[in-house]
Amino acid sequence: MQDKITRILKAIADPTRREIFHALVVASTALPITQISNLFDISRQGVTKHIKTLEEAGLIHISNKGRERFCYANAEPLMEVNKWLKFYEKFWDNAIGNLESYLDDKA
Amino acid sequence: MKDVIIKEHIFNHSIDKVWDAISKEVEISNWFIKADFKAEKGYSYSFKSEGENCTEINGVVKEANPYTLIYTWVVQNTNVETLVKWMLKETAEGTSLYLEHSGISNYSGDTAVQMFTGFNGGWDNCVSELSKYLMEEVHAG
Repeated sequence: MQDKITRILKAIADPTRREIFHALVVASTALPITQISNLFDISRQGVTKHIKTLEEAGLIHISNKGRERFCYANAEPLMEVNKWLKFYEKFWDNAIGNLESYLDDKA
Repeated sequence: MKDVIIKEHIFNHSIDKVWDAISKEVEISNWFIKADFKAEKGYSYSFKSEGENCTEINGVVKEANPYTLIYTWVVQNTNVETLVKWMLKETAEGTSLYLEHSGISNYSGDTAVQMFTGFNGGWDNCVSELSKYLMEEVHAG
């Protein structure tokens, strides 16, 4: 099974998927797939595929209303990736700080 | 979003002094984490802090030629391999360090969260305790 963070990073690695996600974040409301497709210069099928990838990463939730499917953005998974990167950011900052004091103190 | 962390830093010290600090077991043990380390390609190293509840780091040295040092970075009980790369360059001010830690997206969400909580009071301190100890030693001496 492909793990969660990898799925998130893959989902946002594609510029079109980032734009779809961004459009939904900006809309800050659920949008029907038809309306999303109209924003992009690719086939509805292509958009649907991108949306599926985003949904698998947890970045989009889909609900059905009548015959139309509505999508809305969920930015929460991005926090997880961010948290993990931040941990190592701080870790290496500390390490380099340690290295510097060590070198400065070394005769 | 990238899954690579890059740190750059200029040290006001000679390149050989910095190289020794990052590649010699005794020195790594001093400023970083207590190490079993040899700067030889293929060497299986370990970073084992003496502090309480400190997670062990293991890996294999991939490259160790002055002034490039590359090793895999596997946190105990995770089986997730990431890569740490140290590159030094001589500059007018001294030595510039380019540090790169890649493959962080290989950690699963669950592992990330689990390690995170474990590290908050553990590993993080395992490293900073050392620097405190060093500071005290220096000022006491």
